[in-house]
Amino acid sequence: MVTRSRPLNFFAIFTVLTLWMWVLAGVLFWIRWNSVERPSAPVKELFPYGEIRIGVDASYPPFEVATSTDLYGIDIDIGKALGARLKVPVRFINMGYDGLYDSLKADQADILISALTIDYSRSGDVLYTIPYFNGGQVLVTDGQHPLADMNAVSGHSLAFEFGSDANLTARAWLRRIAPFQLMPYETPSIALDSVRLGDSDAALVDATSAGLYMRQHPDWQSQEVVVTDLLYAIAISSKRGATWSAVNEALKSLMDDKTIAAIIKDWL
Amino acid sequence: MNKYRTKLIEITNIFLRHWAWVVRFIIIWLLLGLISPTLPRAPLEAQQTVDTTKPMVCVHTRLIDEVYEWKIQRSLQLVREMGATTIVEFFPWAYGEPTHGHYDWASFDRIARQAHNQGLHVIARMGLVPEWARKQTGNPTTLNYLPDDSFQVFSDFVALFAKRYAGTIDQIIIWNEPNLSFEWGYRPVVAADYARLLKTVYAPAHAANPNVMILAAPLAPTLEPPGSPNGLNDLLYLKALYEAGAAPYFDALAMHTYGFTEPPEANSSPTELNFRRAELLHEIMLQYDNPKKPVFITESGWNDNPRWTKAVRPSQRVAYTVNAFQWAENNWPWLDKLCLWVLRYPANTQSYPDNFALITPDFELTPIYYAIQAYARGWEQGKELWLPAPVR
Repeated sequence: MVTRSRPLNFFAIFTVLTLWMWVLAGVLFWIRWNSVERPSAPVKELFPYGEIRIGVDASYPPFEVATSTDLYGIDIDIGKALGARLKVPVRFINMGYDGLYDSLKADQADILISALTIDYSRSGDVLYTIPYFNGGQVLVTDGQHPLADMNAVSGHSLAFEFGSDANLTARAWLRRIAPFQLMPYETPSIALDSVRLGDSDAALVDATSAGLYMRQHPDWQSQEVVVTDLLYAIAISSKRGATWSAVNEALKSLMDDKTIAAIIKDWL
Repeated sequence: MNKYRTKLIEITNIFLRHWAWVVRFIIIWLLLGLISPTLPRAPLEAQQTVDTTKPMVCVHTRLIDEVYEWKIQRSLQLVREMGATTIVEFFPWAYGEPTHGHYDWASFDRIARQAHNQGLHVIARMGLVPEWARKQTGNPTTLNYLPDDSFQVFSDFVALFAKRYAGTIDQIIIWNEPNLSFEWGYRPVVAADYARLLKTVYAPAHAANPNVMILAAPLAPTLEPPGSPNGLNDLLYLKALYEAGAAPYFDALAMHTYGFTEPPEANSSPTELNFRRAELLHEIMLQYDNPKKPVFITESGWNDNPRWTKAVRPSQRVAYTVNAFQWAENNWPWLDKLCLWVLRYPANTQSYPDNFALITPDFELTPIYYAIQAYARGWEQGKELWLPAPVR
């Protein structure tokens, strides 16, 4: 049997080589681009007042609370860490929730860190950073008798705070899966008590309430599963893209080196 | 050329051979169009009336930003079924006159039409300045920024509104919380400025609709001292408003009074914010104004967010709200309507303001809705709403 090798196609070789050159050039360019530290816009340009004016509504513990002389909370600590990372002093401006977004528009604040969730309806006016916390609802079960997710609640009992968002979510799930017993309680912590003490199989509460409760009961081995997302992010005017970019990068680096996680752990 | 001609003849022949299939295809296409989902519509129902035992019950709605009319209709049906007689709704000037002298009444008309169909009374709140009237000075301004030389064009619009909706909407609130800096467009909060706005609006509105009732803006409950960049204490502002000579230029006073963390019966004090702060505002009215001038509380209520420092538990919210209606009914003869903030948001804010709502954006009714409904319609409240705490 005679085998004939196919003649080399000059154009095929040329095309493959050309493509390979382009890929190689692209990779080298990408490596070079990332190895060069380019100067960001000068601070004066990013924060024209020489400081980061951070708008907060300090009435939302543990994220931000005001005393007569001071502000404290997760968002306050994040703001301070952000300023340190950007090497710009920060000043917090306490205001009502209703005025937060207007303060960006009216140049009363540079950024907002106030447990704000990403609101897509504002995307024309506001840029949000990457989220730094998920405050959605979590399903909490005893570690000895865990339930994998909301589907597994069928046939069990579910505790929640009467009248809360979790109450509505529980009612919605009751329409989706096989029946389970609704256990309304007066507060989220009582709902969690009922799981810890064995009266209910699971509790549906918001992540912050769950975190605060776990701080008070560090010995309880529980399991938490995220049921709904509520992503908190920093808001900046859409007219200040360079500022957004700098803040977003700084926040990302604070998340990468676990600074944000440590701040949240301090409070929750 | 011949080539194209031949091709054309070929295509024509194909069509002539298969024209019946072409016609069938078009008919099927049209039939499929008929069975495809259409935009939900909201045809008016037979004229409804509100079945209530408490005509004071009222609720602030947020309908103006709804895209679909059926959501407006559904919201208003739920207001009626709750037993509320009245709604307060925002009618933004920026929507009604987007460019100077050009009017767009469509979004206002559908609210007025649907509310009337449900037998509901409407109190209109007006504000929100169109860009053309903000007269940009180079500094950024917000939608609440109304420069002095735009008072007259705002007044013209209010008069047109009053005339158009005469007999349907006869109560108009001029502006909102002008004692707050951001509500006054970050201009200095000066009561005399607002008094001039009332004076500018009053006569033209009455000329346009002799039955119109002009309501002075509700003030934000706040303890901000004079000179604060955020605003001014509502008691101080109201006094200053009267001292600026505003009394003849409004027919009724709107108020905002929130309970925050205290029950409705808690005593009022000038240094505290609670439900009965309305009594302090009314005392100022009695000092300066006609004692028979009515009051409308156009925002009130409690919030049950788990972590807001000014919120209560949902269980307390239910009890406090019902008790507040009873308190007002028994003790405030000067009060015309007590309106709760808020029936429903078009979309959640995903923060504590959501916990003022009585129903969710997707029309899920919360326990407080049922409690108010039972109160307004004179129904029995039912059994215990939650379980006792576990004890070990």
